[in-house]
Amino acid sequence: MNRFELLNLLKDTIHDELVICNIGLPSQELYKINDRPNYFYMLGSMGLASSIGLGLSLTVDKNVISIDGDGSVLMNMNTLATIGNRAPSNYTLLIVDNGSYGSTGDQKTFTNEGTSLKDVAIGAGCKNVIECSGQETEGNLKKALADKDNSYVIISKIQSGNVPIKPIPLNAVTIRDRFRKALGLVSYL
Amino acid sequence: MKISQKIINNLKEGGADFFLSVPCKLLANMITILENDKDIYYSAIPREEEGMGICAGAYLGNKLPCIMMQNTGIGNSVNSIVSLLQLYQMPVVFLISYRGTPGEPVGAQGGMASVTEDILNTLRIPMLHCNTEHDLDKISTFTNHAKVIESPVAVLCNFNLMKDD
Repeated sequence: MNRFELLNLLKDTIHDELVICNIGLPSQELYKINDRPNYFYMLGSMGLASSIGLGLSLTVDKNVISIDGDGSVLMNMNTLATIGNRAPSNYTLLIVDNGSYGSTGDQKTFTNEGTSLKDVAIGAGCKNVIECSGQETEGNLKKALADKDNSYVIISKIQSGNVPIKPIPLNAVTIRDRFRKALGLVSYL
Repeated sequence: MKISQKIINNLKEGGADFFLSVPCKLLANMITILENDKDIYYSAIPREEEGMGICAGAYLGNKLPCIMMQNTGIGNSVNSIVSLLQLYQMPVVFLISYRGTPGEPVGAQGGMASVTEDILNTLRIPMLHCNTEHDLDKISTFTNHAKVIESPVAVLCNFNLMKDD
């Protein structure tokens, strides 16, 4: 299973959730599968999808899912400590770990070698850290979303590989405004 | 404590209601005040760039975030400011302890001090310089200004203003 197939498998589970999606191909694939106003596509700032979702989850009651990648988490690993110590129960970090920097040409990441993001997350203080296969991801994500008392980090181990895809045609402020409208914060759209 | 309390009061009066900090000894009193303030959200965080992301998320959730940090933190955060906060037009207040300004005992702080304003100018981030207690009265309007212009703004508090607080 590759990232596109995984996201396609999850489309019904995440349909109405607040999603902060990682830069590049993950966002482009999610857009292609099922564009939703409650999906925030992060167009720049690689590494920060996990942190943006954390900030959002601290300010709203709804479930928030950050869909991140192994390469991006490796770029901003300190945020796992903040998540471990501060994430509220409505926060889920889904790390799509395909062992590669997919958007830049599938160069291998350190999760192919000695690095275990599961161990890093546990060491950083995260509770409810689940490493699973692509097939097991939907069930674990549903469990995380249904649990009103705990935050989760789910590491979905899948294959690398991308599908041919175009950049998202929305500009950043449009993404911002329709997302905030989905939260009931914008009345003029 | 008087200066620190005044800064916090002005930030809150201007609408800031979500605070993060990366530590600096000049921010220590403000951090103590925020830790005991039940009206707002506050957390310490390990790194400034991550803080820009958390602030972006808090803004999406309808907060006006403020991140407290040394000016060195601007150096750690340039891409996240440009490619996240400015790209999506998100207001965030940077409350900056301006290390390396006159009175600073640590020579190594001089380097970032000499380029901080150039970086902020290059990024076209509005700046408020606080050199005296009187300047602190402007922080509340300046904080609200971030919301009005949907942009990050920077409040720079000089070393000598903060050192004896």
